Amino acid sequence: MGVNISFVGRRWGPFHYTVGLEKLREYLAAISGGAPNLGLSGLPDDVHPVLHDEAAAARGPYKSVIGFPTFCVTFAMAPFGAAMLDPALGVDLLRLVHGEQDFEFLEVLRPGDVLTTHGELTEVSQRGRHEVLAVRTESVNQHGKVAVRGLFTAIIRG
Amino acid sequence: MPSYTLGETFELVREVDRYRPIYYAGASGDFNPIHIDPEVGRQAGLGGSILQGLCTLGWAVDCFARYLGDPGAVTKVHARFSRPVALEDTLTFKGVVTAVDGKQLKATVSAENQRGEEVLKDVGLEGRPPSSGAR
Repeated sequence: MGVNISFVGRRWGPFHYTVGLEKLREYLAAISGGAPNLGLSGLPDDVHPVLHDEAAAARGPYKSVIGFPTFCVTFAMAPFGAAMLDPALGVDLLRLVHGEQDFEFLEVLRPGDVLTTHGELTEVSQRGRHEVLAVRTESVNQHGKVAVRGLFTAIIRG
Repeated sequence: MPSYTLGETFELVREVDRYRPIYYAGASGDFNPIHIDPEVGRQAGLGGSILQGLCTLGWAVDCFARYLGDPGAVTKVHARFSRPVALEDTLTFKGVVTAVDGKQLKATVSAENQRGEEVLKDVGLEGRPPSSGAR
């Protein structure tokens, strides 16, 4: 028994998220081989200064620390998570795997940015024994600009 | 100003230490139990905890961002998750520039574990030369 195709077009959001400097650094540590629980002592030496060093980043083209591109998962994933947990869809989380992912990074992320994310179920289909669900997301910053577009594709193993 | 050449290659190697999925969960908010609880991973038929696909994807992006020399210059990524990544796997990311002009670069990246099995497929990345300034 799968997800009813009539749920295509269902939307989740808005989800609001404020970017924080320490959270950017924690994400950087986790993705760079460091450990977020140790703070900056866990940050490896070879990471780009624009991702964590306020003084160095202020002198650079962005005039600020910026987020590692896939930091966007912290907010862009919210509608996908909500969809997978939505009792109406009834997804079995133990059979859920992440199938595909697309991101468009349109605006850099700076500390203090406020992102508002919506998502929409855009696909429910069969692929062999498996079922495919896709949630398209858009995250808009406080300047009204689309910062990130995402397409989260889940496979429900049959 | 750095130069970028069609066919140029770049590489990144990442070790999946035992706590990586937990660190990534804390940093990203993705606490799906299959990533942090080996028992749930076994129940799901995955043989234990597996790494978040988005962490693997982040490493593919990092491979390209390091080549560009500017993490803010990455504009697009696509990937298909073709195989679970287990604790203590070693992943090797190998990129190649497939298109380059004054305003845009495209690259593909392969991602293999220590057995030569592909963990990502169809990885496509786009970026711009960092010299074109801030967004």
